[in-house]
Amino acid sequence: MTWWLLSFARRGPARYLSHLDTSRAVQRTFARAGVPIALSQGMRPKPRISLPLPLPVGAAGSEELAVIEVPDDVPGSAAALRALRAAAPPGLEPLAVVVAGAEHPRPQAREVAYACRVEGDAGALGAAVERYAREASVVRERVSPKGRRTLDLKDYVAAVATDAVAGGTELRFAIRYSADGAARPQELIDLIAEWAGVEPVMYGLERRHITWKGLPPGLGSGDGRSVSS
Amino acid sequence: MTAHAPDSPGSFSEGYPRSELARLLARVTRPGRYTGGEFNVRHKPGARPRIVLSYPDVYEIGISNPGLQILYSVLNDETPASAERAYCPWPDMAGLMRAAGERLWTLESMAPVAGCDLWGFTLPHELTYTNVLEMLDLAGVPLHATERGEEDPIVLGGGPAVADPWPLAAFFDAFYIGEVEHRLAAIVEALEAPGRSARLSALAEVPGVWAPGRTEGPVRRQVFTAFSSTPPVLRPVVPVLEAVHDRAIVEVMRGCTAGCRFCQAGMWYRPVRERPVDLVVEAADRLLEETGCDEVSLLSLSSCDYSGVHEALTRIRALRPGVRVSLPSLRIDSAAENLSRFAAGQRGSITLAPEAGTQELRDAINKGVDEAQFQEAVAATFAGGFTGLKLYFMIGLPGETDADVAGIARMAARAGSLTREMAKGRARLSLAVSSYVPKAHTPFQHEPFAGEQTLRRRQQLLRDAMPRNVRVSFHDVAASVVEATLARGGPGSDRLVEQAWRNGARFDGWTEQFRLDAWQKAADTLGVPLGESEAVLDAPWEAIVDAGVAPSFLAGELVRSGRGELTEDCRDGVCGACGVCGAGVEMEVLG
Repeated sequence: MTWWLLSFARRGPARYLSHLDTSRAVQRTFARAGVPIALSQGMRPKPRISLPLPLPVGAAGSEELAVIEVPDDVPGSAAALRALRAAAPPGLEPLAVVVAGAEHPRPQAREVAYACRVEGDAGALGAAVERYAREASVVRERVSPKGRRTLDLKDYVAAVATDAVAGGTELRFAIRYSADGAARPQELIDLIAEWAGVEPVMYGLERRHITWKGLPPGLGSGDGRSVSS
Repeated sequence: MTAHAPDSPGSFSEGYPRSELARLLARVTRPGRYTGGEFNVRHKPGARPRIVLSYPDVYEIGISNPGLQILYSVLNDETPASAERAYCPWPDMAGLMRAAGERLWTLESMAPVAGCDLWGFTLPHELTYTNVLEMLDLAGVPLHATERGEEDPIVLGGGPAVADPWPLAAFFDAFYIGEVEHRLAAIVEALEAPGRSARLSALAEVPGVWAPGRTEGPVRRQVFTAFSSTPPVLRPVVPVLEAVHDRAIVEVMRGCTAGCRFCQAGMWYRPVRERPVDLVVEAADRLLEETGCDEVSLLSLSSCDYSGVHEALTRIRALRPGVRVSLPSLRIDSAAENLSRFAAGQRGSITLAPEAGTQELRDAINKGVDEAQFQEAVAATFAGGFTGLKLYFMIGLPGETDADVAGIARMAARAGSLTREMAKGRARLSLAVSSYVPKAHTPFQHEPFAGEQTLRRRQQLLRDAMPRNVRVSFHDVAASVVEATLARGGPGSDRLVEQAWRNGARFDGWTEQFRLDAWQKAADTLGVPLGESEAVLDAPWEAIVDAGVAPSFLAGELVRSGRGELTEDCRDGVCGACGVCGAGVEMEVLG
């Protein structure tokens, strides 16, 4: 078996898919393209595919990554890429396929740059962003089915800025990933909206750049590389 | 045939979707319901006429409807028209749309539905009727056909629920009665007439169309006589959002002549027409390629009755090893034999439908399954490796007594013993019990609805008698009461639907959304009873719809039901004189 890395963009209608739906769409694109995906062992075999960095529902991404295991006899990745492009649904755009080899690649995101539109008074939003920059610590509570935990957003979110754009305010920020996790984009949006006194609604979220650790050769050299076609 | 190839959707700009819609989509559950982007979606920008196809339920249900897939595929690929889709927005989205003043849009172009030339609804059952009004209102199209003007689309209803169009009569400009594949080109052509009135007049000329004031009723139900020689849909729209059904579908047979006396579909889709095995196998192969699915379903009302079922299964499995082939409806009388032939390698659960708990009642409904066949079928299920068995029953059938209901519990107990014995704890047994609602164009069309009190009492009777290890689920009686009220509604029943919608009724088929109070208040306002349990003496639907099944046949079947006499399946050689065949309409069974 061989591991492949697929770089793809998710935009248009595909941005409204959940993580599981995106994974299923990639899987189905392979099936339609006639590129088999290896199956796991056991009673209920599952396709060996993972998307290492989930993209929130509603978010577009220009350089997403899927890790897929394929049988050794699958034809070359260049032909596969053409077939995948033809087979993909609108908005899911395969950009590059790289053969990683027999060892399971486990790329990890280190820093991710986001931008989104936020509704509300631009001045108040700008002031909230300035306050974020000034604060030494911003502790928030996260409630999940697993329980409650606190995290300091300042440990995870940097480079927060706003810009006036046509029809509203664009909020930009970068999320840093560490061994103990990361902040979620919505957590920053909620904070900025709370401080600005606006409704915490973001739309047009885009993941603009991902810095990876552990990408195999063929997608750049050394750490801090991004995937490109 | 001229090809009308749709464009590729191409790349999406930064501005997709426009910010007004993006704001709404950011606030709702499952925004992908409203944005399309499926595999095989068609885009025909600028094509005319522009037709919108709708299924009045939420996206995940609607996208799984095979009927709409046929219309979408034929209209886009074989006519100059552009066909787009819209489903019923979930209440969270509907609320936001009203607050923001956004009109219902289509998934393909995200353009307003109201700007189309024709808006076609597939009407599946009565509990979707208020959703039709919800969609018209959200689109900004006047609810009543009489209030529509030159700029409004023509609203056309079709699908199985038009067996009785009265409850929706006021809201549709026209109804199409029966199968429509072969009439779509004529419908598209009718839309070329200048002006709304001329278009409606031209539409009224198309066989099968009932347009009030323009067509004399009753209108004969249309039968697609080329079904057997026409391939099924080969490029269906495949959802990227998880849907109710996620499999490729090959319709192998249309119609069923088993003759179950309660079954509207069995009467409505006559006669039986089978597709040749070659066509089925080729279609399955192509569909698996086009959809990327790993399962293909051989669809029909009774797939085990399809003459080519074994050959088709064998050939598809040989052609596509590893692909699962499913048969969505198994008849108990042939289940044991069929399961032993094709169950190998299958997993999951299957459903068997004895329908009634005693031999007397099963004979009365013409479901002549006996206890031995039932037990063989249950045993064959677990011998075949399935890990779940669901048994489907109805309560409230005409002539039913408490003893028949107790019979359901006895059958469940027997099935439970077999499950324990054969599956040794590795399998689940469950029962689904629905409430029977008499329908138009069936032998029971004049029979009384059992009524709310009787149904509730019999549900309790069954709960008390049911073995502990069998899980049982019941259909909501209150929803059945509404369904029964509408299923045989006459002129004026549309007022009840409208009033209930104005009272807040939506998604009546969804337990968590169903609001009996909205319906009760509407019934009180209009002074009409809900779920009346009296015999229905007249048949107002016959003024509009001639289903092809002769009233004398239906009456005769009712008499035979009372005597407990079975009527043979006409495909076995004995014509029951139902009246459907003739004038070019014939049964087509593989030789």
